[in-house]
Amino acid sequence: MFDLEQAILDWRRQMLAAGIQAPVPLEELENHLREEIERRAKSGLNEQDAYKMAARQIGRAPELEKEFKKINAPMEIQKVIKLAGFICAATALGGQLFICAPVVFAIAFTPGGSLGLIARVFTVAGWAIAVAITMFSWKYNHQLLPAIRNPRPRRAIGFACYAGCLLWIRFVLFHLPGSVIENISLFFLAQFLFESEWVVIAVLGGIGHGLEKAACRQKAMVNS
Amino acid sequence: MIRKELVAASAEPLILSLLAKGESYGYAIIQEVKARSGGKLQWTDGMLYPVLHRMEARALIKSRWGESETGRKRKYYSLKKDGKLAMSKHHEQWSVVQSVLAGLQKEQYV
Repeated sequence: MFDLEQAILDWRRQMLAAGIQAPVPLEELENHLREEIERRAKSGLNEQDAYKMAARQIGRAPELEKEFKKINAPMEIQKVIKLAGFICAATALGGQLFICAPVVFAIAFTPGGSLGLIARVFTVAGWAIAVAITMFSWKYNHQLLPAIRNPRPRRAIGFACYAGCLLWIRFVLFHLPGSVIENISLFFLAQFLFESEWVVIAVLGGIGHGLEKAACRQKAMVNS
Repeated sequence: MIRKELVAASAEPLILSLLAKGESYGYAIIQEVKARSGGKLQWTDGMLYPVLHRMEARALIKSRWGESETGRKRKYYSLKKDGKLAMSKHHEQWSVVQSVLAGLQKEQYV
């Protein structure tokens, strides 16, 4: 007696043995198999024949795995690069919002003090511009970056940028402490240094991410 | 039956054009292609999924898990902005091929 669920279980085992990963894409393929079995059964075939034809129609596990493998290999590196870019942008935005903002707003909205109204407006505007650059450099810089089709130099540049971020953070933490900035007599230069710490991280971090995105876009256009 | 190479080359433009009508899932895409081609365009069903995943990795399409009418999990695909651009490029290029072929065919009967 033919047992459809057992046959599907065996089919799943074959797919897993060939290296097709669960849950994705195995779930997707199984759903497809079940829908095809249902369609064939409705058109009058018995369950066993419907299963056999649907399984044949879906293709052999090693061939499917070969095709899926082509996508997964570069995707892993791409995911790491994109995640690193995201971490840089999130760190930079966090710095702007939780470290710079309290200082900027304390300066701008404290009654009295040595700063005039225009200087206070410029202080807030400078901070807002730094936040905007931080956010947009990560999201849109790929439109300005060249599409480097060779993945090795592209990723080398990306990783160099991330390494640059770490070095920059180290430099800011140990060589550019707040006291140095406070001692700079020019107020706006001090503010520029204070906020650019985070902008540099966002821009450098965004380059690795942006180069991947620019290359993806170019590849999509070439393949189209 | 249409040759394997042509079937492979047409997979991406067909998927993009079908998804331009609205989100869909693997099985429905295959059924629609079969129906529209009168069964002449035959894919090995499973081979559609690596193509869909590759297109997703290239940010042409995006996916989400949903449920079918019977409660079964189903992965729906929809077009992204870059996918729309890629689709218009495909249409442009296939139109050129088609018009060259049509022109040459016409000349043969003159």
